[in-house]
Amino acid sequence: MNNEQAKFILRAYRPGGHDAGDATFGAAVEQARRDPALGVWFAREQAFDAAVAAKVRTVAPPAGLREAILAGACMSRPPAAEAARPRWRPAVWLAMAAAVAVLLSVVSVRWFRNAGPGAAPLDAMARFALADPLSAHTGPHADKLGAFGAWLQNPANAISTMPDVDLAQLKADDCRAVTIAGHEVFEICFQRGGAWYHLYLARAGGGSGAPAFEEQAGRSVVSWTSRGLACVLMTGGGADALRHIL
Amino acid sequence: MGSDAFTQLVDANYAPLYRFALSLARNQADASDLTQQTFFIWATKGQSLRDASKAKSWLFTTLYREFLRGRRRDVRSTALEDLPPDEADPPAPAVDLVAALDAETVVAALQEVDEVFRAPLTLFYLEELSYQEIAAALDVPIGTVMSRLSRGKTQLRAVLARRGQGTRDNVVPFSTQQVRKAP
Repeated sequence: MNNEQAKFILRAYRPGGHDAGDATFGAAVEQARRDPALGVWFAREQAFDAAVAAKVRTVAPPAGLREAILAGACMSRPPAAEAARPRWRPAVWLAMAAAVAVLLSVVSVRWFRNAGPGAAPLDAMARFALADPLSAHTGPHADKLGAFGAWLQNPANAISTMPDVDLAQLKADDCRAVTIAGHEVFEICFQRGGAWYHLYLARAGGGSGAPAFEEQAGRSVVSWTSRGLACVLMTGGGADALRHIL
Repeated sequence: MGSDAFTQLVDANYAPLYRFALSLARNQADASDLTQQTFFIWATKGQSLRDASKAKSWLFTTLYREFLRGRRRDVRSTALEDLPPDEADPPAPAVDLVAALDAETVVAALQEVDEVFRAPLTLFYLEELSYQEIAAALDVPIGTVMSRLSRGKTQLRAVLARRGQGTRDNVVPFSTQQVRKAP
């Protein structure tokens, strides 16, 4: 092996010493020990790599990203995880039986929020929105979405009067999308009056539902269904800000 | 996988995954999306992975595939054959110069490296994966990873040297200030 071949191999040798036990590098490292010129080159290469790696490691993820991952992934888990639990737990069954009566009393109210098979679960979308980091903006995604993006950012437009949205077009426009409980949900961030808003859209069943507001840890969401879409709007500016643009 | 184990998996990996995503996507919002999406996929599919020790590689592989899937096939995509030929190995910028640059500048320099080299180079500097694991994550032969690391470093050195030169040009040496005289 000549020195050029050794350099080629040693450039893949991580600066933290993680590859010390890897036989692939053994001969090249040994050659760097024996050859002073190669040894100097290797030491400089390692020092340079260590300096770059140290800088890269200091990049911190945006605040709230971890919480968003945990909240979102929790909602995306398949029900199989639940099935792994013991099937017969009397206390649970008793509690369930008691809950049925309560559920029956509210199911007619909640039904529109989970609008049938194939529809995105609105409550899951709202919970995801409440955990989504608002701090990760570099620019409004609405800027990339043509007329619809412009419509969202026009302060004269009430969001509840949103025109028909073509989800396939959003996809074609490379709109951001996340998976919530197995459903594709499009996420559009936009600004009005200097405040940030996130709008989440997914396919819903028929019918429409009145807006429902929720607040948690400084985030406010309003969720509703309209014209075949499940819609959730979130801001860190408070429920009044949502009502103002709704 | 229970919720505690999942939380541990997230805690151990979300920061390096985000850094990898930031290098690829070149903006915070898309990097956050990519990182979240990767864990969503884990939550729905990844738990079937039998060998838990491979979870980290799986996550990096999945993030990279999601990046490729979501990216438009536009001018940002650079084919290897479009790149200039490999240059002679330029001298590495002084280590103290790199140390003097802030992390944002170094990451920005990394983001200037052609995408085909940037992915393996970022994984290399994250130090999370071996070159074999990088090859598996990017679905390229081991020799290709080594070659791309070599060429990627060449590009990175050139960018850092340029940025470092800019930094130096903005600094007026103290001795120069002393000899200036008012007109």
